[in-house]
Amino acid sequence: MSAFRKSCKLCDRDVDRVDYKNADLLRRYITDRGKILPRRATGACSRHQHQLCTAIKRARFLALLPYIEGYRG
Amino acid sequence: MREYETVYIFQSTLEPEEIDGKLETFHGLLADAEITAVEHWGRRQLAYELAGQSAGYYVVAQFQADPARIKPFENALKMDEAVLRHLVVISEGESAVPPSLRGDDEDEDDDREDRDEDEED
Repeated sequence: MSAFRKSCKLCDRDVDRVDYKNADLLRRYITDRGKILPRRATGACSRHQHQLCTAIKRARFLALLPYIEGYRG
Repeated sequence: MREYETVYIFQSTLEPEEIDGKLETFHGLLADAEITAVEHWGRRQLAYELAGQSAGYYVVAQFQADPARIKPFENALKMDEAVLRHLVVISEGESAVPPSLRGDDEDEDDDREDRDEDEED
């Protein structure tokens, strides 16, 4: 979380479509509690932030990512 | 005809032959659909429990099908208890291959490099 970025990393890498199946990539855009990081922290552009949001939600549904991490209720 | 992508999560206790058999039945419901890819990701740990199970067998399939065929297809998936969960989405050209086998993570360590630079500041 310490690394606040200025440029969109996904644009730098010419990512056309964020894949919801790529949990390792998506994991970099959630907190250690599993929340989606805000754009001010990810530095992602509008297009990619929207794609990330949808992709993370799909990945959660498929149990590739947790909805909440470390919750002991 | 439209391009779709489906992710199945089967019970991990099933034999591979049983899974192949089920996939054949499901894809048969899509009638004249053209199946373009079927990737077996295999047994995977789930991020949270589904139906009391902590692991599942993942299969990703891509196909071109008539939109009218999707409803009965999904109904069959819902009825089958061996399918822990499924997702049907319109394909956006994503790869069906498991990310761990794609080998396109050239700059996987980017994040760590960033942090190192920050500390120098």
